[in-house]
Amino acid sequence: MAQPKEIFVRLDRCMGCHSCELACAVEHSQSKSLYSAISEKPTPQSRVYVEWVPPDNRLPVLCRHCEDAPCMHACICGAISRTEEGVVMTNADKCIGCWTCVMVCPYGVIGRHLQEHKAYRCDRCPDLEIPACVNSCPTKALVYRTVDEFSKDVRRVASREMLSGEGG
Amino acid sequence: MANNERRYVIIGASAAGMAAAEAIRQSDSTGFITVLSEEPVQPYFRPMIPFLISGKKSVADMTLVGQGPYSGTGIDVRLNSKAEAIDTKNQTVTVQGGDLVLYDRLLIATGSRPYIPPEIEGTEAAGVFALRTLTDALAAADCAAQADHVVMLGGGLLNLKAAFALLERGLDVTLVVYSPEVLSQLMEPDDAVLIRDALNKAGLKIMTDCSATHILSQAGGVNGVLLNSGQEMFCQMVCIGKGVFPNVNFLEQSDVQVDQGVVVDRFTACNAANVFAAGDVAVTFDPITSDRIVTGLWTNAVEMGRCAGYNMAGRTTEYTGTFGILNATQVADEPFVSMGIVHTSGTDYETHVFSTRNTYRKLVFSEDGERLVGAVFVGDISHAGLYRYVMREKMDVAKIKPFIIKHTLHYGHLLLP
Amino acid sequence: MAGDNGNSNKSTDPAVQEMIAKAESMNVVTVWDRYEAMQPQCGFGDTGLCCRNCLQGPCRIDPFGDGPDKAICGATADVMVARGLDRAIAAGTAAHSGHARHLAHTLLKMAEGKAKDYTVKDGAKLRAVSTRMNIPIEGRSDNEIALDLAKAALADFGEKDTPVMWAATVVTKDRVKVLTDLGLVPKGIDYEVSEIMHRTLYGVDADAVNLLLAGLRCGVADLAGCYMGTDLADILFGTPTPVVTEANLGTLKADAINIAVHGHNPVLSDLMVTVASDMKEAAVAAGASGINMVGICCTGNEVMMRHGIPSCTHSVSQEMALMTGALDAMVVDYQCIMPAVVNVAECVGTTIVTTMDLCKITGATHVEFSEEAAAEKAKETIDIAIQNFSRRKNKPIDIPEIRTPVVAGFSVEAIVAALSKVNAEDPLKPVVDNIKAGNIRGVCLFAGCNNVKVPQDKNFTVMARKLLKENVLTVATGCGAGALMRHGFMDPANVDDLCGDGLKAVLTAIGEANDLGGPLPPILHLGSCVDNSRAVALAVAVADYLGVDTDKLPVVASAAEAVSEKAVSIGAYAVAAGLPTHVGVMLPVLGSPLVTEVLTAKVKDLTGGYFIVDLDPESAADQLLSVIDERRAGLGL
Repeated sequence: MAQPKEIFVRLDRCMGCHSCELACAVEHSQSKSLYSAISEKPTPQSRVYVEWVPPDNRLPVLCRHCEDAPCMHACICGAISRTEEGVVMTNADKCIGCWTCVMVCPYGVIGRHLQEHKAYRCDRCPDLEIPACVNSCPTKALVYRTVDEFSKDVRRVASREMLSGEGG
Repeated sequence: MANNERRYVIIGASAAGMAAAEAIRQSDSTGFITVLSEEPVQPYFRPMIPFLISGKKSVADMTLVGQGPYSGTGIDVRLNSKAEAIDTKNQTVTVQGGDLVLYDRLLIATGSRPYIPPEIEGTEAAGVFALRTLTDALAAADCAAQADHVVMLGGGLLNLKAAFALLERGLDVTLVVYSPEVLSQLMEPDDAVLIRDALNKAGLKIMTDCSATHILSQAGGVNGVLLNSGQEMFCQMVCIGKGVFPNVNFLEQSDVQVDQGVVVDRFTACNAANVFAAGDVAVTFDPITSDRIVTGLWTNAVEMGRCAGYNMAGRTTEYTGTFGILNATQVADEPFVSMGIVHTSGTDYETHVFSTRNTYRKLVFSEDGERLVGAVFVGDISHAGLYRYVMREKMDVAKIKPFIIKHTLHYGHLLLP
Repeated sequence: MAGDNGNSNKSTDPAVQEMIAKAESMNVVTVWDRYEAMQPQCGFGDTGLCCRNCLQGPCRIDPFGDGPDKAICGATADVMVARGLDRAIAAGTAAHSGHARHLAHTLLKMAEGKAKDYTVKDGAKLRAVSTRMNIPIEGRSDNEIALDLAKAALADFGEKDTPVMWAATVVTKDRVKVLTDLGLVPKGIDYEVSEIMHRTLYGVDADAVNLLLAGLRCGVADLAGCYMGTDLADILFGTPTPVVTEANLGTLKADAINIAVHGHNPVLSDLMVTVASDMKEAAVAAGASGINMVGICCTGNEVMMRHGIPSCTHSVSQEMALMTGALDAMVVDYQCIMPAVVNVAECVGTTIVTTMDLCKITGATHVEFSEEAAAEKAKETIDIAIQNFSRRKNKPIDIPEIRTPVVAGFSVEAIVAALSKVNAEDPLKPVVDNIKAGNIRGVCLFAGCNNVKVPQDKNFTVMARKLLKENVLTVATGCGAGALMRHGFMDPANVDDLCGDGLKAVLTAIGEANDLGGPLPPILHLGSCVDNSRAVALAVAVADYLGVDTDKLPVVASAAEAVSEKAVSIGAYAVAAGLPTHVGVMLPVLGSPLVTEVLTAKVKDLTGGYFIVDLDPESAADQLLSVIDERRAGLGL
């Protein structure tokens, strides 16, 4: 099986604009349109969280779809499973809102939909070629790549920086 | 012996047993996995029992196999197969009816059963339930359909959830609690104020500081409860939720070491060769206090069961223990999480308490203030897993303490300290 | 610091810290909580790389170069940033001149006999200003002159034959030439604001430098608005003279009816002071000891300068005045009133009274003010406070026991008057001589607000401490003055501690010549934020005396904790006037290296002034000192 793509964060690129949060909420709305989504009930929720580490670090945090997903094993009703692409999914129909997943997620990326009484998290936008957050990022701080591609990119940037550093 | 012929036998088809079976299958694609279940029904998610009672979920919704991580194939679950004894020399399990099952690796995952206080008279009457199995739950649901008033004995989480399920069915429910407040195992009375308010508002009648002495019955079954105060309450149904204790009776004749529960090492192995134990039946330890504990939690049982499964299949995996208290749930629209050391009155732990009209939190730090050792969140439980992580990893909290106290910790704080 | 309560990262004012702790204990949400909730703030807005000026937008430009490098219309980062800055300057100009126009209308109504509660309080200033405006004064009554002056003021808003007179007549002759050559003389105050809105419209000005020049011109129009505001307020309410008073939350009185006036314009607050003095009986009848008026922000500065009304707090800590629980009413006009005051007020039982049609807040009580019925409306608002007093009977209130002595009231006229006690023939000579001799190394103006991003007052106090020790004569306006007064910088008793020997000697000499029995305060309070015009007037007077333009003077300005767009427009005119101008928080310009370069360096070649953006108060003070030395060297000193 080809290596699946994942969402990676380039930490130095995040501007803290929250565009990814909006795009995520819209993609997870009924209408998939910002203008309608704003007044939808249940209120669409973002599954990515732009956080701040003082003084000036901004970073989007979202589900890592852990290889050894603690949430999936902790779930007391079998609502969380892994797809073939490696996406850890919460099945809202099965979720009973016990919040055990919230208690065991070490990244703090499982949200609680209070109107629905359901847990939710990143599903990597199954209907989209590229996840909405990645698509919305104006600085490409979020990228959608395979692990290999991403580490190659990182190496490329590092070597370019090294070269330019040496070149003065 | 080659792996592809290895015979894995698991006694118990609930959280620990089924999680172990999955973990074994992950690591060993060809070994024979046999799960012995004393129950007459296919494995199911036991914590969903209250939903069955309330009618929100059906038996089908509770099915375990094929759901969540339980997708492994070639796992032979034998129903109505209660283990009666084990022989660790010959590596056999005697199943009710006399069958002998041979094992190369054995997992004891028999779980626990409800504790029925012997000092209460009349507990054997029809209409008295201890909600443990699906069978119990179905019977209780039938009984509830005929009842107007239920008395619940015990203020723990299981009973509260069941009480709510019955409230949702439109019954009058009275909770009789021996302690001064509900959930006393999970938090201190001050921590439970918001929850108590929500329970009251939801219409649950709660009597604290009292206990039942007799369950009264007549030919048709239960018709009342007599309290230690002398007060008599009429009811048609009684639920007992006074905790659980490990199912170890069948080990009496074996050489497996039992002390409260089955004693295991850090790799979930028993003293007898090729025998492992996990879940409610096993004695584990709390990574914070290092205390030996027996827990009755699905999540813990799964974690330990998976660990045992890996060890049985030859992937040596250390079990890191679990907090004695590790609960998240929502009762009466009030979500809460309680983890680690939360009973702090009379201790020297550094505690930070913050409460508003609709949220409450208590963060407990070690006496030197350098480690987070416990947390209670009520109302707002967001990011609870991060706090659990900080506790379990015994992280030095110097740089993140203000965020912990304010309940604003996020992953970025751990990533970019 | 005692009573820090762990809030020193929020405010360095111990009284404020005490109230933050109280707010936390009561779960009252304040500006610091909202700031935290807002993190992280969007980096595009922060760097000026976000444009919403047309309906094709919003557009954002990626400063890292991976994403869009132009707006949809094609605007570059430079254009986008310059447009954004221009609009901020226009907003600030609109606000200051709106304040001035309100005063002009009041003066007009007074002169026409329609606003009986107002009179000309300073006939000499009326005549001086009118003379500057070429309005005849000989043999004319106050009202006749005032009528012409009010009309001249209103005429300055639109395009006419002459440029904006309140700009063209208030700077040095050389500066008029500089501004004329650069095309920076405003045609009309409203004209410039309006033109900024035009040129920043979709598809108009797309030349960053041209945009910035227009911004500077609008900034000069802002100087006119400020200057007019000061002139007309002095005429109507009196030109300030030194006055002894106090500042900080300790000026609230537990047993009195406490009324805070908050906002900017003295049109209402000055009348309230007068009317309140006649209402003691009503207050006593309600069970109070009397009426205690206090000020917040610039309207507080206005009534402090003219009446010695104490200042209770300023800017970012305005909610903290409410947190005491001791305020019976907060009467607001406009500008810098955080809408959140109504939420805090609800928690503590204070009534917020809005008074101006352009500044209503949902949840507040509105009493529509009119100049025609000014005293009556003032009484109505005070009555609200008196009625509200009963609510807090027997309820605990928390007034921090913190009060700082303040000597305020330093209008340019008052400074010249004080100096003339030293040298009656040539009042400016003592100051200029001391500058030449080095006893005064230079002059620094502190202006502007408190920004939640800075621990309140920290930048002001750290910088002032350093500059005073280095013998920099320091003046302050607005909430910068508020910050410094609450930390004792306007208490003459602190001159010994705070000032270098040269400055100490000068302040002491002037003080003694005026029989004050001691020095002037370490920092001179010039007034509200429109009164930055007084700093310009002072600089122009010194420049004229020396026969040089203002861009040669060792005079600098600092908006160390700026918030409002008004601070941006003030900064623009300070730069246009030739002053090196420090800003202690980030301006939204970093997205354009060109605009950043122009504002901090290139503009120096045009006007002599420029921006110094430095978020560290220690190094900012060092930078200002080196600029002062550079200017001294330029003058051969």
